Amino acid sequence: MSGEQSKWGIAHVHASFNNTVITITDQTGAETLAKSSGGTVVKQNRDEASPYAAMQMAETVAEDVLQQGVEGVHVRVRGPGGNQQQNPGPGAQATIRALARAGLEIGRIEDVTPIPHDGTRSPKSSGF
Amino acid sequence: MRVAVTGTPGTGKTTASEHVETDLGVIHLNEVIEREGFTQGVDDERGSTIADLDAVERWLDGREDVLVESHLAHHVPVDRVIVLRCHPETIEQRLTERGESPESARENAESEVLDVILTEAVDRQGIDSVYEIETTDRSPGAVAEEIEAVIAGDRDPSAGTVSYVEYL
Ligand SMILES: Nc1ncnc2c1ncn2[C@@H]1O[C@H](COP(=O)(O)OP(=O)(O)O)[C@@H](O)[C@H]1O
Ligand SMILES: [Mg+2]
Repeated sequence: MSGEQSKWGIAHVHASFNNTVITITDQTGAETLAKSSGGTVVKQNRDEASPYAAMQMAETVAEDVLQQGVEGVHVRVRGPGGNQQQNPGPGAQATIRALARAGLEIGRIEDVTPIPHDGTRSPKSSGF
Repeated sequence: MRVAVTGTPGTGKTTASEHVETDLGVIHLNEVIEREGFTQGVDDERGSTIADLDAVERWLDGREDVLVESHLAHHVPVDRVIVLRCHPETIEQRLTERGESPESARENAESEVLDVILTEAVDRQGIDSVYEIETTDRSPGAVAEEIEAVIAGDRDPSAGTVSYVEYL
């Protein structure tokens, strides 16, 4: 674990069927340090474009927060992501890899995907 | 033929299904789950039972010409799966009016934003079996007509045609 003096943030990765949105906040979640530009990238080809777009956004936000003195991030993934893969989608996985490659330390990775429910719900899918 | 009508709670599945004119037998799956006790636990945090999908699947065995309506309908084997979509603000408002807690309404709205059920439906049934229908600001009768078109084979499969990410 890093020393007390190191500055850590939280990377919120929202992975929908067609889009990935990345926001990096401080540890309390209150202050936004960086947001993926344009918010979303709509994919023309779900198989190719999703990981690529997510990686590009991740690089941009990582550079941004590294300059603000952030050394590492805990990751909270919301959403299954598309592409007929397991949870979370390639958007989320590619994002986490790209954040690491850009020089951010990766701490806890948490899957906080919402569960549709009324009086009943499905058993939780395996997550990751 | 088995057809599923699924979608986040509050998208209007039960209402639309009641307007559908079809020879298929309409099954309100949530009622079946409750009546038959097809559950395998309780989610205390959400105040929901956890469905036993194997038991549901066994119960459906031999029931072939049916329209299965539920937010769990895409988890059972079907030939076509219709995913009703609705703007998350409308979902949140409807669920709150229906007496759900603010947390519940909020989590369901967020599920809709993140295409959770659409993605599950595509994973489970294959993209060529999925028919997405945007219902926001449309009457139950109009939604029912779209469902009838899918049953009749007059509609092409579709997925990823709506996006609510701006609601994040
Ligand atoms: N097309 C529609 N237009 C306006 N209100 C609707 C429509 N469909 C459903 N509703 C209302 O929304 C609420 C939820 O509908 P319901 O059919 O119970 O949703 P679901 O079965 O998907 O959870 C109900 O109060 C219903 O009257
Ligand atoms: Mg219903």
